[in-house]
Amino acid sequence: MSTLNSVGHPTSRIDAVKRVTGTATYTGDLRLEGMLYARVLRSPHPHARIRRVDLSKAQSLPGVKAILTRENCDIVWGSGDTRNKRYLFNNPVRFVGDAVAAVAAIDRHTAEEATRLIEVEYEPLPFVLEPEDALKSDAPEIQPGGNLSPNNQGKREPEVYRRGNIDEGLRAADHVFEEQYSSAHINNAQLEPRVAIAQWQGGRLTVYASTQGISNCHTEIARDLGLKPEQVRVVCQFMGGGFGNKNQCHDFDLMAAMLAKQAGAPVKLEFTRKEDFIAVHGRWPTKQYYKIGVRNDGTLTAIQLRGYSGMGPYRKGAGGIGGIEIYQCAHVERAVHPVYTNKAVSANLRGPDYPQGVFGLESLIDDIAYKLQMDPVEFRLKNMTRKFLDQTPYTSIGLEDCLRRGAEAFEWKKRWNPAPGSAPGPLKRGAGMGMGSFVSSLGRSSAVIDLDSQGMYHVHVGVTDVGTAAKTTMALIAAESLGVPLERINIIWGDTDRCPYSVGESGSRTTTHTGYAVMEAAKDLKKQLAEKGMPKGTDMLTATANTNPTIPGVARYSFVAHFAEVEVDTDLGHVRVTKYVAAHDSGRVVNPLTATSQVKGGATMGIGMALHEELLYDRASGQPLTAGYYGARVMTHRDTPEIEVVWVETEEPYGPYGAKTLGEPTIIPSVAAVANAIYNAIGKRVKDLPITRDKILGVLA
Amino acid sequence: MKSFANVNARDVKDAVNKLREPNAVVVGGGSDLLGMVKDHLVQPDVLVNLKTIRGLDQIAAKGPEIHIGGQITLDTLSHNSMIRGDYTVLAEAAESVATPQIRNAGTLAGNVCQRPWCWYYRNNFPCFKNGGSKCFSITGENQFHAIFGGGPSFIVHPSDTAPALVALDAKFRVAGPSGERTLAAADFFALPKVNAARENVLGKDEILVSVSLPKTAKGTRSTYHKVLDREAWTHAVVSAAMVLEMDQQVCKRARIVLGGVAPIPWRLQKVEAILAGQQITPELAAKAGEAAVEGANPLAKNRYKVPLTRNLVRRTLLEMVA
Ligand SMILES: Cc1cc2nc3c(=O)[nH]c(=O)nc-3n(C[C@H](O)[C@H](O)[C@H](O)COP(=O)(O)OP(=O)(O)OC[C@H]3O[C@@H](n4cnc5c(N)ncnc54)[C@H](O)[C@@H]3O)c2cc1C
Repeated sequence: MSTLNSVGHPTSRIDAVKRVTGTATYTGDLRLEGMLYARVLRSPHPHARIRRVDLSKAQSLPGVKAILTRENCDIVWGSGDTRNKRYLFNNPVRFVGDAVAAVAAIDRHTAEEATRLIEVEYEPLPFVLEPEDALKSDAPEIQPGGNLSPNNQGKREPEVYRRGNIDEGLRAADHVFEEQYSSAHINNAQLEPRVAIAQWQGGRLTVYASTQGISNCHTEIARDLGLKPEQVRVVCQFMGGGFGNKNQCHDFDLMAAMLAKQAGAPVKLEFTRKEDFIAVHGRWPTKQYYKIGVRNDGTLTAIQLRGYSGMGPYRKGAGGIGGIEIYQCAHVERAVHPVYTNKAVSANLRGPDYPQGVFGLESLIDDIAYKLQMDPVEFRLKNMTRKFLDQTPYTSIGLEDCLRRGAEAFEWKKRWNPAPGSAPGPLKRGAGMGMGSFVSSLGRSSAVIDLDSQGMYHVHVGVTDVGTAAKTTMALIAAESLGVPLERINIIWGDTDRCPYSVGESGSRTTTHTGYAVMEAAKDLKKQLAEKGMPKGTDMLTATANTNPTIPGVARYSFVAHFAEVEVDTDLGHVRVTKYVAAHDSGRVVNPLTATSQVKGGATMGIGMALHEELLYDRASGQPLTAGYYGARVMTHRDTPEIEVVWVETEEPYGPYGAKTLGEPTIIPSVAAVANAIYNAIGKRVKDLPITRDKILGVLA
Repeated sequence: MKSFANVNARDVKDAVNKLREPNAVVVGGGSDLLGMVKDHLVQPDVLVNLKTIRGLDQIAAKGPEIHIGGQITLDTLSHNSMIRGDYTVLAEAAESVATPQIRNAGTLAGNVCQRPWCWYYRNNFPCFKNGGSKCFSITGENQFHAIFGGGPSFIVHPSDTAPALVALDAKFRVAGPSGERTLAAADFFALPKVNAARENVLGKDEILVSVSLPKTAKGTRSTYHKVLDREAWTHAVVSAAMVLEMDQQVCKRARIVLGGVAPIPWRLQKVEAILAGQQITPELAAKAGEAAVEGANPLAKNRYKVPLTRNLVRRTLLEMVA
């Protein structure tokens, strides 16, 4: 691969000093003149009809400036549910945490006290927590029409994918394996809680948001509030993480706007940590039933999956169970049922469909490899995908190298135990692995570059930088494309008044979509510069690119294989990850420093999902019990192993300098790798996430 | 959060007086209490701050005893060389608490007197601890609940330092409106069948002032082993505080107290008797492990605590004589 001047060199974030010295102004740090503070009253019931709301006591509390309920605010939050009408305040309320009212007051405590003075008469309704229970004929109906959420065609049928003929595939098998797995509802758990500050100036609304996408947030606020796009401005200068649940516009953005309107003053609405676990979406819990057919020589003949995803009572899209596309197999059938339940809402969390799906699939594949007495890495090398869905060629594929080079760096042959659980003594080590892929899309985005007479290039991009170092990535791509040093690049980001459209920072799209627009704008600027020469005085040269590349007939994917070694203390049921190697094909790596951080972060999240995290519910009452960092047992630094990253830089013809996607693939096979390592250590398999001590001691008993 | 007044206590007497104000609650480091106020678990009108009492954060030798002021922070306690040397179990217990931030703020008295961390209590269920008359764990999510001494409430005592103090035969000095009293650590904690609403014998306007430790006998070694579900920032699933008085290879006297298994620090007198006067061999340690879980009464989801406790006791013993 050719060497470049800026792209490909490890580079510190352009805002690193601000971030680590506390001078970066995050949304929650802003204080506007006369700003009020808001709090939300939430349903204590998993399902209830609201009979009556009495605001009189709350209204007469000194310092209360505005109160919203369904009575005076019937705004529909468009992206809160793509199938049903989800209001800002719903009646009936459908989960513990569903919003009932919002109050703005002179300070947080007054606002909170006011929420406690609102008298609500609830009529509790029957509720259901588990997706399969919710599909039973006597289950309470959560949304009109039934609890199976409609598919993409609007039909109440599961989402189905088929190729070949599953029965034929199962008949062709020498062995058929059948197994079931489950995964838990977990939370995005980003450090920065949800926060929005809304301010009206005349008829114009500014929302200081904590968002993964100023552009989609902007469009949707305008749509949901019935405003013209030019009446709305969205600003997000520093962002404290989201992992998928701060994309688009959110109910708190809209509530802050409506409270500010009613109060005639700017309003800040910030969630508590508990609200940030129960009142926002997390990863959907799943139940997965697999049937896999295989020949004696290890060739896969059939993969069948019937799955159930618990979406909570509203469906923000999503709900799939991914993973089967990493295998070559003639006969495949997948039917996934996204189901309404009375638990917290589920939607995108880093690699939405995959870590849980790959956990189930790769657990069973692992079992099959053992049964056939094949090395799990060899089994995967034999059966891994070669064309997307066995049909469409990939633009580039480094999966084989991820497997081979990852295994080598990990010393797989040395660490993997061909006879699981056979090591003597209570401390047992084991090795496991898993693989995955993730679409590396190309698509619409924009960039504007201004060149001033001092030779500074002002690059306007609508990114907010969710922690991925997107600003720095854009600067590197701009410097490379313009052929100038990084110091000559000034990135302008995070403000819809100053930046053009950018794709939301979700789907791991920013580098490839917006980075490509930056390249195209740079090309144009260089041409202009050659024609017109340097601008003089206050003049500027301006280049704009609105790009939307398409690549028909090919599939563009990133690939990944992770390898984990664990030590299980079988006396105590304790698991420690002792070695971890992550091999990634993301095409050319734009910034190896921050890319490595992405991998470490993703793998760490996956280890937490494998071993600890769960939003656990009390079955009798439908109340969540483990909301927050303490209860969810999110990983700490001490839990995090050394993570070694192996880059498999394929020659990729598309995307900026051949870069493919990275942020989300980093978590995809990590859960499976850890689960398989535990099996390799103890010779017993835990099939339900998270793999906690009680389950480990349970299977060992 | 409901608003409240903070009043600083001058001395112990003043603190006790101020506690008589209606709806007054005592606060040490506030590392737990403030969170509970925010969660509406406690709704005080007045917080009586003990941190302003001079000298109550000191460690001092008085005759054969060591006196530790209740306001000492867990961090200071865990780094004190006398504690580390002679009362290792207490230093290790203090060091195992939560996170550095919490240990910097949290006090020994606050740690001993902390309320349960049962998720039903902490999520405001109307349980015994919240003024109700039910324990929701019995038929609910009870994976972290008691296998000994449960009923009618099945919480486990959350403090890491408490088992260590019981194992060291500490004495607790308690002050109240009618003066001060001193109790053995083991008598400070109370089972739910005595009072399901509380975890100890402190009256509403009493405070824990200090603890004192007897001089350790020659040949004493001690340790605290905590099993926790991530490497930091969480309470013990099960823990063992062990103090062994050794004469060469022979264990003259043992004190073994468990955390995380019962509503109070759970002393294993039977195991202590098995060990007394014996050489701790792998066989004896295994026997001790078996005896440790005799009479365990697990609920539906905490059966794993039985083998866990058995193995923890056996292994900790062996490690101590290794
Ligand atoms: C996230 C988190 C994790 C934790 N993990 C652990 C852990 O692993 N192990 C562990 O042992 N503890 C743990 N704790 C609890 C921790 O021990 C306490 O936060 C701390 O030790 C309490 O000390 P404090 O001085 O801050 O107490 P405060 O917060 O001031 O008070 C705690 C309680 O004790 C009462 N109290 C305080 N002082 C006295 C006194 N002198 N007399 C009578 N009552 C008093 C208060 O009224 C209150 O009910 C954790 C706490 C948190 C928040």
